Amino acid sequence: MIRAVQITKEYRTEGRVHRALSGVSFSVAKGEKLAVLGRNGAGKSTLIRLLGGVELPTAGFIEQTMSSSWPLGLQGGFQGSLTGNDNMRFIARIYNKPFEHIKEYVEDFAELGKFLSEPVKTYSLGMRARFAFALSLAIDFDCYLIDEIIAAGDQRFQRRSHEELFEKRADRSLILASHMGDFIKAYCSRAIVLHHGRGNLFDDIDLALQVYNDL
Amino acid sequence: MSASTRQRSFGMSRIVPTIGKDFAAQSRVVGALLIREIYTRFGREGLGFAWIVGEPLIFAIPVLFTWSAVRGSSEHGVPMMSFLWTGYLPLLMFRHVGARMLMFVRVNAGLLYHRQVTIFDIFLARCLLEVASSLTAVLVSGVLFYSLGMMDLPRDLPMFYLGYIYMIWWCAVIGLIIGAFSERTDWAEKIWQPYSYLYIFFGGVFYMAAWLPESLRGWALLQPSVQAYELIRAGMFGSVVRTYGDPAYETTILAVLTLIGLLLMRDARKYVIAE
Repeated sequence: MIRAVQITKEYRTEGRVHRALSGVSFSVAKGEKLAVLGRNGAGKSTLIRLLGGVELPTAGFIEQTMSSSWPLGLQGGFQGSLTGNDNMRFIARIYNKPFEHIKEYVEDFAELGKFLSEPVKTYSLGMRARFAFALSLAIDFDCYLIDEIIAAGDQRFQRRSHEELFEKRADRSLILASHMGDFIKAYCSRAIVLHHGRGNLFDDIDLALQVYNDL
Repeated sequence: MSASTRQRSFGMSRIVPTIGKDFAAQSRVVGALLIREIYTRFGREGLGFAWIVGEPLIFAIPVLFTWSAVRGSSEHGVPMMSFLWTGYLPLLMFRHVGARMLMFVRVNAGLLYHRQVTIFDIFLARCLLEVASSLTAVLVSGVLFYSLGMMDLPRDLPMFYLGYIYMIWWCAVIGLIIGAFSERTDWAEKIWQPYSYLYIFFGGVFYMAAWLPESLRGWALLQPSVQAYELIRAGMFGSVVRTYGDPAYETTILAVLTLIGLLLMRDARKYVIAE
């Protein structure tokens, strides 16, 4: 279970306060799949980063009784100047997992071949997506925080992600920020729509998408 | 419990989550950070690792040779090379630790994507690497100057070590404060530049308290760095010179500064904006 209670996040830039999130509350039980909808700049990535513990909320709090991945997005989580293998070694060490096991899984899932011995900054967006996602699947979390990343991969990667996340790990939770309606319909059972920093929860995905499209 | 107090306790737990609770997990994370730091700074191949020691030596050896040649063989009855060696190498440690801590969270914000890693872990890893590198330079240059007959061994080794322990503590505390402060405001960097430069003159690098007029001595000895230098030199020269180091005062002032640093560090987490 992950519970967000009245979380507010403010950023201070050049003396002005910008409120990205304003009193957002929701909870995600084990196995539940929640979509995060909202236009660009509505606070989707901010919310995912707060849930991942990357940044701290200005007010409110987040309670967690299950493990959650780091925010899987197009940025963050890796050291660009280090190779894929060295990034894997680092992550294996801090999450206390055997490197060999992780390497084997990532090699198979991400299909990066010799690129694993190249610096991560040379990867394309799709390769980064595959790498990040494979690594987080190898570590094995109760809840995956996904910021648009699956959409960055090709068809084959999307199909394999679906297999891994929805068939083999159907009992895991998912919090997924995305713009893609079809995608969300296929993956999620509930949605939170962010607008002007406020969050509205919907148990009906079609209704949530309709509200989002009307924003 | 109100939302704001929950938030605060959550924040604290992210900064010093494991002290006393899970030492093994924390040392694993700090160890992983250390290896990562070595790879990113020095590369993985060939000289990479040796460079950790080589870097401070490249500063220290030419400077010490030149000065000892220019300034003659002794000053106030103290052998010149030993005096410069006890002054300059800790200065390098101070400047390197401080400089490495400037905005140390911002340049590593990607690491905070992983919950296991706290900003305190990042601080520890960076600080340990700088201190280890500086101490190795102390050892290597010491052995070199001794074997060339340019310097004697410390007369009172336990005192010498004690002085160095205080010096390391002082450098770590400055790193803690400047690091945490630099995450909060850009002024930290603006202050650090002149401070770390002026420190060469007033920090005790090139003088001993005994050489100062009495009116200045008390003021100079308020500085933790001067205290540590007095103790190191008491160990180096034995009773040849009069020294004024006071471990009780030094412990107290460093403990207070450590507390301030930790409080600033706890606060710094709030200012972190990830990429």
